[in-house]
Amino acid sequence: MTHDFEKLTQYAKSFTGLTEEYELLLKEVGPEIIPNLKSVTENFYAQLSLIPETKSYLEGRIESLQAMHTQWLEGLFTNDFDTGYTESMYRVGDVHVKVHLPVEFMSGGMTLINNQLIPLVVGLFHSDSEKCTKVLSAINAATGFSLLTMQQSYQEASIAEELEKFLKISGMSKVLFSNLAAAYKD
Amino acid sequence: MRSDMLTAILNELNGTSADIEASGVISTDGLMMASALPADMDEDRVGAMSAAMLSLGDRTAQELARGGLEQVLIKGSTGYVLMTHAGDEAVLTVLAKPNAKLGLIFLDVKRASASISEMI
Repeated sequence: MTHDFEKLTQYAKSFTGLTEEYELLLKEVGPEIIPNLKSVTENFYAQLSLIPETKSYLEGRIESLQAMHTQWLEGLFTNDFDTGYTESMYRVGDVHVKVHLPVEFMSGGMTLINNQLIPLVVGLFHSDSEKCTKVLSAINAATGFSLLTMQQSYQEASIAEELEKFLKISGMSKVLFSNLAAAYKD
Repeated sequence: MRSDMLTAILNELNGTSADIEASGVISTDGLMMASALPADMDEDRVGAMSAAMLSLGDRTAQELARGGLEQVLIKGSTGYVLMTHAGDEAVLTVLAKPNAKLGLIFLDVKRASASISEMI
């Protein structure tokens, strides 16, 4: 399946309000925030390990997951939010589907991350309330952008997975299913 | 040429009983190979739906240990839809009136599907 990542990028930006100004601001404050992100990740996984439903997905792989997570968090303050980033987040969503991660883990996880980042930003920029507000809004837009693009893939991959299952159960070939769908496209 | 011969078999089938209103030969991928359908009936939909139903019937017979599928029969308030394999690569679908004598139709359809199977 081919995807129009440029279209998805613009769609995600229009929903999350991730503007060029916010992208520049994230890069500007990155050097102050990045040194703290390892502990944000550690706290995030500590919280996940307290949730019975998420615990089983973490066992035996917490270190590698933490490394990837920190790298992604740092990327929020260094990357361009372009089609390349959108595609990479889309692939992350794909991986989540393949390991059968429940869909709510992504929005729940993003909430936990924002909960960690808010006090960090307030601590760093409290003396300049205008800047502090802008940084918080920019982070919210960036994490929202990431969530939306991941979920887009999740939704499509979930549908594809269900379709595979349906075809297997019904005995229908993909060609027959396509012909059936084409016959009812109007 | 083959399509004409298939159409001839369908016309003959439709002519065997006034209860048969329409018929079609469809590939197992759901594409119409030959048909004798009323003008207001969408060939693509009849084709795809018939192949899909027969495929589901195959799986149902298999899952519920009913042996190899012989036919799928659907009864609606205004008539019947009968689907059967015509060889390994085709489906024969027949639409019949609600008061149709099914025994005769089954027999005619069986003969027609054997002829279609030989031709394909």
